[in-house]
Amino acid sequence: MSVGGDIGVWSVLLAIVGSALRVSTPYLFVSLGETLTEKSGRINLGLEGTLMMGAMSGYAVALGTGSPWLGVLGAGVTGAAFGLLHAGLCSLPRVNDIAVGIALFIFGTGFAVYLGKPLVHPVAPRLPDIDLGFWSSLPSLRAALQVNALLIIGILLAPAMLWILHNTRWGLKLRTVGDSADAARALGYSINGVRATATAIGGFFAGVGGAFLSLYYPGAWTENLSSGQGLMAVTLVIFARWNPINCVFAALLFGGASALGPALQAVGITSNYYLYGAAPYVLTLVLLIRTSSTKHRLFGAPSELSINK
Amino acid sequence: MIGAAVWRGPEAAVLTVGAVLVALLAFGIFVAFTGLDPFAVYKVLYLGAFGSRFSIETTLTLAAPIMLTALCVVIPARAGLLIIGGEGALVLGGLGSVLAGVALNGAPASLATPLILLAGAAAGAIWIAIPAALRQFRGVNETISTLLFNYIAIALLNHLVSGPIRDYGQPLKPTSWPIPSAFMIGTIPGLSVHWGLVYGVAACLVAFVVLRQTTFGFALSILGGNLRAAQMAGLPVAALALTAAALGGAAAGLAGAVEVVAVHGAASISLVVGYGYAGILVAFVARQNPLAVVLAALLVGGISASGGLLQRRFGMPDAASTVLEGCIFLAVLGSNSLYGRLRFLQSRSAEVK
Amino acid sequence: MSEPSQVEAARVPLVEVVGMTKRFGALLALNGVSVRLEPGSFHAILGENGAGKSTLVKCIMGYYRPDAGRLLLDGVQHDIYNPRQALAHGLGLVYQHFTLVPNMTAAENLVLGQTHASPTIDWANERARIESFQRNMPFHVDLDARVTSLAAGEKQKLEILKQLYLGHRVMILDEPTSVLTPSEADQVLGMLRDLTKAGRLSVVLITHKFREVRAFAEDVTVLRGGRLVGAGKVAELNDADLAGLMFGRETVFASADRTATKPGKAALEVRSVTTLNDKAMTACDALSLTVREGEILGVAGVAGNGQRELVEVLAGQRGIEAGEVRVAGVHYDRSRKQMRRYGVHLLTEEPLQNSCVRGMSVAENLSFRNFDDGANVQLGCFVRRSVLRRHARTLIQRYDIRTPTPDARLDTLSGGNVQRTVLARELSGTVSVLIAQNPCVGLDFSATSEIHSQIITARNRGAAILLFSEDLDELLELADRIVVMSEGHIVYETPRAAADVETIGLYMAGHRSEREDLWASNA
Ligand SMILES: Nc1ncnc2c1ncn2[C@@H]1O[C@H](COP(=O)(O)OP(=O)(O)OP(=O)(O)O)[C@@H](O)[C@H]1O
Ligand SMILES: [Mg+2]
Repeated sequence: MSVGGDIGVWSVLLAIVGSALRVSTPYLFVSLGETLTEKSGRINLGLEGTLMMGAMSGYAVALGTGSPWLGVLGAGVTGAAFGLLHAGLCSLPRVNDIAVGIALFIFGTGFAVYLGKPLVHPVAPRLPDIDLGFWSSLPSLRAALQVNALLIIGILLAPAMLWILHNTRWGLKLRTVGDSADAARALGYSINGVRATATAIGGFFAGVGGAFLSLYYPGAWTENLSSGQGLMAVTLVIFARWNPINCVFAALLFGGASALGPALQAVGITSNYYLYGAAPYVLTLVLLIRTSSTKHRLFGAPSELSINK
Repeated sequence: MIGAAVWRGPEAAVLTVGAVLVALLAFGIFVAFTGLDPFAVYKVLYLGAFGSRFSIETTLTLAAPIMLTALCVVIPARAGLLIIGGEGALVLGGLGSVLAGVALNGAPASLATPLILLAGAAAGAIWIAIPAALRQFRGVNETISTLLFNYIAIALLNHLVSGPIRDYGQPLKPTSWPIPSAFMIGTIPGLSVHWGLVYGVAACLVAFVVLRQTTFGFALSILGGNLRAAQMAGLPVAALALTAAALGGAAAGLAGAVEVVAVHGAASISLVVGYGYAGILVAFVARQNPLAVVLAALLVGGISASGGLLQRRFGMPDAASTVLEGCIFLAVLGSNSLYGRLRFLQSRSAEVK
Repeated sequence: MSEPSQVEAARVPLVEVVGMTKRFGALLALNGVSVRLEPGSFHAILGENGAGKSTLVKCIMGYYRPDAGRLLLDGVQHDIYNPRQALAHGLGLVYQHFTLVPNMTAAENLVLGQTHASPTIDWANERARIESFQRNMPFHVDLDARVTSLAAGEKQKLEILKQLYLGHRVMILDEPTSVLTPSEADQVLGMLRDLTKAGRLSVVLITHKFREVRAFAEDVTVLRGGRLVGAGKVAELNDADLAGLMFGRETVFASADRTATKPGKAALEVRSVTTLNDKAMTACDALSLTVREGEILGVAGVAGNGQRELVEVLAGQRGIEAGEVRVAGVHYDRSRKQMRRYGVHLLTEEPLQNSCVRGMSVAENLSFRNFDDGANVQLGCFVRRSVLRRHARTLIQRYDIRTPTPDARLDTLSGGNVQRTVLARELSGTVSVLIAQNPCVGLDFSATSEIHSQIITARNRGAAILLFSEDLDELLELADRIVVMSEGHIVYETPRAAADVETIGLYMAGHRSEREDLWASNA
């Protein structure tokens, strides 16, 4: 193999790693949040709207206060409010959580774009980089390893969440509510209360994921900032089998897959660009088909989830 | 429970109208907060949707594909399936019609155009029948799989129009080969609205008749209302579910074909403008009734159509119409919980008087 | 107080239930029931299906809020509105249906109910405690196994271990042995009895099995129709007394007119059918039955012994693992075509769940069997709604269905009228084979005798009828022949003329081989 070929392969790989790290952060946050929500037995398809609301409000708060981190917090709070809206509607009788999710997806996207109109031109302070490639002198490697603190927070959050789910009373309570409403009732837990908390936290995370979009990468508020990361969260969670640690890998994989096309394009390989982009969806579908059965549920799936009934 | 949504006549109508009014009220309060006069906004909303010949024509043009994509939710819902794959079926319908149109080059238009529409419908039908079959025989949740199918359809569209079927004569936006212009369908005489509106309304009427009046529709209602009752009645459950899904997919595929033969003349990413999701909204606002779909689609089309006027008059962002649509969707869903309590509400309001 | 190390310390309270009453809508499920549970006693509650046993204990636990009645612990009244409060008072209930969390491990399920505990769980510590606790138990559960991977018997043991591990002083078990083998049941109940003997626990056992009452309980309370109908020391009552109290011998139905027909050809044959329940365990085990024309075959048995699954097989709602169903001598594939051709009809329990659509009208529900029949269809595919409605009007009148109009939604009707709707639908066509499952549950006296006479009339016309019932009186009144179903098998068969309520009751209650003893004691 020629030297030139080597450099080509390496730069493609580095570009993929670099953009996978960047692109995957919002995936990671929405999927962690959705994992928590689904663990409580509800499905929130409206995270796409929440993501956009988070991106918009985070940008606005950062612009107003001059602090991108306050922006992240503002985005989270907005997301939590949307989560509560979802939970509130779903706790009413005869209200379907999937339909409410689609409604919130439409509403949230529209609302964010509406309120974000004045934010298109001003420039808000950006979240700072962390230079993980400081030890290297290769500029392309350093560029690839420039990451954001949110990615690191997200990656640390995953084991923390797993720990909470398995080592705290609240975690066990959440899983009980999501897995057996009968058991939860027998233990006297408030099913709607637990689900509302979980959906609000899920919304918080999705909001933070949105703030990453507007405050770091791509790093500005635009009307089509999100390209379906919020809707994909739901399938990502299924792909990750409702396990927060798997969410990290799934998010990196999905980020990498969506970076594959652009990276190949950058080195001149343009054929099948869009087919690579479909890889995550096909992958999830194949996984679903392989693990589903008409006789029993998906392994690891919370039994109270409407998509499992 | 989606499938059991049987039209409860006046109660459903009152609840829906009430929900729409609540949503309008919430929207009015919101615009008041942004410093606008809500009544002026309501007025412009009306003018933009139905106030002039031009606005009515825009409303009708926007409503046409939404009626068809709404049927992609409504018909499978009768069999108890919650399908959200209208967007993807529309794309497939567009692609199918382009391929048919190119293949039929040279044929007489009177023959080719129906075949093109049929090809679009068939592509959509197969596309939605696949998730239904996965549901019946593998237990794969149809809502999630149709969501994935939307993304796969869009990727397929992008792939095809940026390479295999690309028209390199179109430098601005990757676009497929055009269908011969002779095959394009024109506008309804006397209106600058294309024939898609007639197809949409006709499809809703046919769906209404099929679902309400035929033995097939009757069997679907049993299946969607209670799988166990359908089994006990000896109905062919799998065949019914697949047929319902395919019919829904055919409606959405027809919407894609109409967009091609009446509007774009080719397939491109312009097909993906959210008609599929608007169809879900319309289906729920219409409470899964095909006749009500026509009205709900006019409402949603009208709101979309008035976006431009709101923007010009008040400098409102064009997302205003999406916000209002979202409010309506949420309010209608919330109003579901009031079923059966209406009598209580009425008697209380009677006491107040 | 939920720590096992403190088990010795806490006292077992005296529990008194006074005048417990609970309504579900119009149904009085529990009517002023009082029970007294001495510390360290083993108390059985007996009663047929629907007697109100589960309702009583759920009221005690705060799962339901009773309409009237008090709970006293050591003479002090406690208002318990939530199961957490009951758990905190040391009351534990093993529910009739599992309340384990399926996707959690056994260990996680064990710590779930702890009430006074820190927000985090110190698993090393907790595991050490669980293990030392398990060492004193006669049976063990793999702590790391997920509940979904446990067999039903293991789940039940885990439920019981959970209550003991939580250190409850009063343990209520709602039909705990229905999923245990007899020897497992003896092991579990024996251990509980030893704990009561040691004064560390009081036990309330809900059961249908006299053997368990006799072997383990000291006191017994019998409920019927939500009322307390008897109570006393087990030693002072014999099985016949208990069966009499449970099944209510004083209710005597007027026997319907039964013509003396001679049973004809075999109309419905179940041949070595094996089927699984929802948890993929065997529900019917190579079960065979034959019903002849002009005959009513009654199937007696306690709920949960495979009757429901067998009915579902016959209704086309459940797959067959092995074996075959034949109707009129040919293989029966449960399709609409065959149902119609051979006149197979079903009256299943819980019609709203099993055989009707809530959101459709009465007229529509009445026409599930014939909406696509020749006379009801025009132009090949259109349903003639006017014909269906006219047909419905006739049926509504004939079967006295109380509905404002044929177009009222079915779920606006009362439970009894929903049942009449199904009855009208299923009995109005040509019935050659009728499968009926608890057809009169929840119906009043007149409706019940009406259904009974309808069934007899169908039989007199030559229909083959398979009647599943948990009500022995009903079977004794209607059936020509009675079989008893237990654990997926037919364990006893008798012609009606020779049927004896105590004998059947004993077989229902799990007796198998003591047949000789029984005959001896009755003689
Ligand atoms: N949640 C409920 N809503 C309405 N009716 C109910 C409810 N729970 C129980 N019932 C009714 O109350 C009556 C008593 O039911 P209960 O469950 O207490 O019976 P049981 O004695 O435990 O019977 P089994 O032996 O079948 O368990 C029955 O008629 C039942 O249908
Ligand atoms: Mg019970």
